[in-house]
Amino acid sequence: MSFSLAGKSILIVEDNPVFRRAMRDMLYSLQAVTVVEADNGIAAINAMSKSSFDIVLCDYNLGVGKNGQQVLEEARYRSLIDYRCVFVLISAEQTTSAVLGVMDSKPDEYLTKPFNAQQLMSRLTRNFARKEFMASIDKALAGGDLSKATQLCDALLLSADKKMHLHLLKMRAELAISAGDFDKARQIYHEVLEHRELPWARLGLGVIDFQNNNIEEAIAGFQSLVADNPMLMECYDWLGKAYEALDQYNDVESVLQQALQLSPQSILRQKKLAEAADKNGNLETAEKAYKSVVKLGKHSVHRSCSDFSGLAKLYAKTNAADNALKTLEEMRKEYSNHPEAELRASTVEADVYKTLGNEELSQKALLKAVEICSRLGNKAPRDLQLEVVKTCFLSDEHDKAEEILYDLIHAHIDDEQFLNDLRRMQSGIGMDNHSEILIQKTKQALIATNNKGVALYKQGKFSEALELFEQAILTMPDNKTIIVNMLKIMIHDLKVNEFCEEKNQRIKALINKAKQIGVDQHKLGILQMEYAKLRQSQTAKA
Amino acid sequence: MQTNPKSNGLFPTILASTVHDIKNSLGTLLELVRQTAAKQDGQSAELNQLEFEAARINHSLMQLLVMYKVDSQKFSLDIEECPVIDIVDEAIHQQARLAGLHNIDLQVDCVADEMCYCDNAIISNSLAAVLNNALRYTHKTILIVVAEEDGYLTIAIEDDGEGYPPHFLAADLNDTAELDWVSGNTGLGLYFVSVMAGLHKNAGKSGFVQIDNESRLGGARFKLFLP
Repeated sequence: MSFSLAGKSILIVEDNPVFRRAMRDMLYSLQAVTVVEADNGIAAINAMSKSSFDIVLCDYNLGVGKNGQQVLEEARYRSLIDYRCVFVLISAEQTTSAVLGVMDSKPDEYLTKPFNAQQLMSRLTRNFARKEFMASIDKALAGGDLSKATQLCDALLLSADKKMHLHLLKMRAELAISAGDFDKARQIYHEVLEHRELPWARLGLGVIDFQNNNIEEAIAGFQSLVADNPMLMECYDWLGKAYEALDQYNDVESVLQQALQLSPQSILRQKKLAEAADKNGNLETAEKAYKSVVKLGKHSVHRSCSDFSGLAKLYAKTNAADNALKTLEEMRKEYSNHPEAELRASTVEADVYKTLGNEELSQKALLKAVEICSRLGNKAPRDLQLEVVKTCFLSDEHDKAEEILYDLIHAHIDDEQFLNDLRRMQSGIGMDNHSEILIQKTKQALIATNNKGVALYKQGKFSEALELFEQAILTMPDNKTIIVNMLKIMIHDLKVNEFCEEKNQRIKALINKAKQIGVDQHKLGILQMEYAKLRQSQTAKA
Repeated sequence: MQTNPKSNGLFPTILASTVHDIKNSLGTLLELVRQTAAKQDGQSAELNQLEFEAARINHSLMQLLVMYKVDSQKFSLDIEECPVIDIVDEAIHQQARLAGLHNIDLQVDCVADEMCYCDNAIISNSLAAVLNNALRYTHKTILIVVAEEDGYLTIAIEDDGEGYPPHFLAADLNDTAELDWVSGNTGLGLYFVSVMAGLHKNAGKSGFVQIDNESRLGGARFKLFLP
């Protein structure tokens, strides 16, 4: 074979010394020069933070500590490996791939033990060939340039490479979805399905239905897909999302249960199950799931202090105050000097001490929570702010509660799902419809501002419209609708008026802001593409 | 005292862990065989046999695990478009050392960019098991032929050995309810590949396998049909 490993830097992650040696010998026999070895997950992560590798050969079962999948997740999450690196996950079981299937964290290749040099070589050759073919697109994507990636993908699709054609089509459809171009994506999926019934294309159609808010249709599609492909784990996740959008948390719970029976190792799925079961009042299921989350989190980059506080809250609900306090203590040990963790802990403590009849400690904890909450402001996760509000109400600190609520409602007025969470919280403490007037008033204010802004925009008064929205954003910080409207106006402004660097900078800043506050990728994608086209024509003129 | 404890749902975990453990031992064993063989100058028949048997155990274990998952509805194929040559190469690479050891001439007749839709890991592993058998029974040559036939993609493995014994030829491999012929390694391997072929479905057609002694080389011929 012409492909050689000379010049490639390689990391072996394997706890068994005999296999490690075998792999090393195998690599040397394939002309490898730079081979680094790690015998556990943490050593692997350290090695990857120190130098960059072209190839990572990582065993799934690494004994104690992180497993191979967790190493991969952390490496990707922390950008320790980039799009050029070939990550091979090695396992004893052939069907591992399906069991581990998690959105966004698939390795480039699975290899089943035992394997020989020829097998390894042909897999690596294939992967490097594919990476090289896709390199320009991957590079554009890594740089966040959706429009360039799409152009490159279209160009490659015209080349007659039969082997890569379907792969490119899949990529093209995904790019189209990110850019909000659902018609194009749908057309590709239908074209693919005409030739062959392929689950990813069917899944794609469901995702489009979901994004277009045809939730019922999306659910029907996902359901028939899992019926035929019980191991298509991504599909369960999408089903969960779809039920969540309909506020059907019983269905969310049951679909996640189903998925976790097949693949119990996914921390993010366990977390979702815990939250759904908690919402449904199925405390036993929730407790079990939270315990799994805390356990799985031990070695996972996806762990969070909310795992502990979730479990602690649950103990508080089941009158297991001791367990709750113990869990919080554990949490403080794991997350010292972490304001969010402290806020979570104090909020739960206020609750627990209250049920224990210790008003003094409860009050102290609540004051601390309120203090941290106002210090963090919008940086505190909104579900946590809701918790603080709830605890304030329960402790008769109505002023504090209303203060936080006012900001929360203004910031998230266009997020019906969150507003439902808020309503649920209030009903739970006997305050049905407590904030309904505020919510409706805020909604009307938003609509009024929007109408006014759009009217100004239509009259061509761009700067006045922008000014109006700038003012509105002061009272409704992080409001998605307003940010998107501002972007639309600024991009239109660039189209009809002259181009200047200052406007450019402002648009870029707004796009970043939109990403930060979680504007849907496909909504933002349309604007990004439009902006990229404008920039291109500008550079062409210049 | 309860003599027949009810299943507590742990069996899948135990099975997976056991297989994992055996596979680790097997890997270590194979590695030690290789290292020992490397130390010795000439080839030792015993070591070769050892390696051959280890490969067989490995296939059987893999098949056992997959069949268990099929049975408990925890299995679905991962269908993708893939160059046929990659699948054939993977099967050959798995068995490369054995072919080398036995001095077998392995010939492949396949167009480079012929594509097919299948679960390529499952199919290449199934083919590797069949190839492992062919390597055992052939004299000198094995031929792998990829072709298209009646809207199916076919992959044939032919040898110049003595051919399949009559009870295999008489059996209906695709009737997986009739299992008289499933015994020994050859039978198990054929059963596995026929079940896996049957799971491949497209446009009303299912995959299947055929065996006969019509090899161009004069021995056994195995043929996999993928829809």
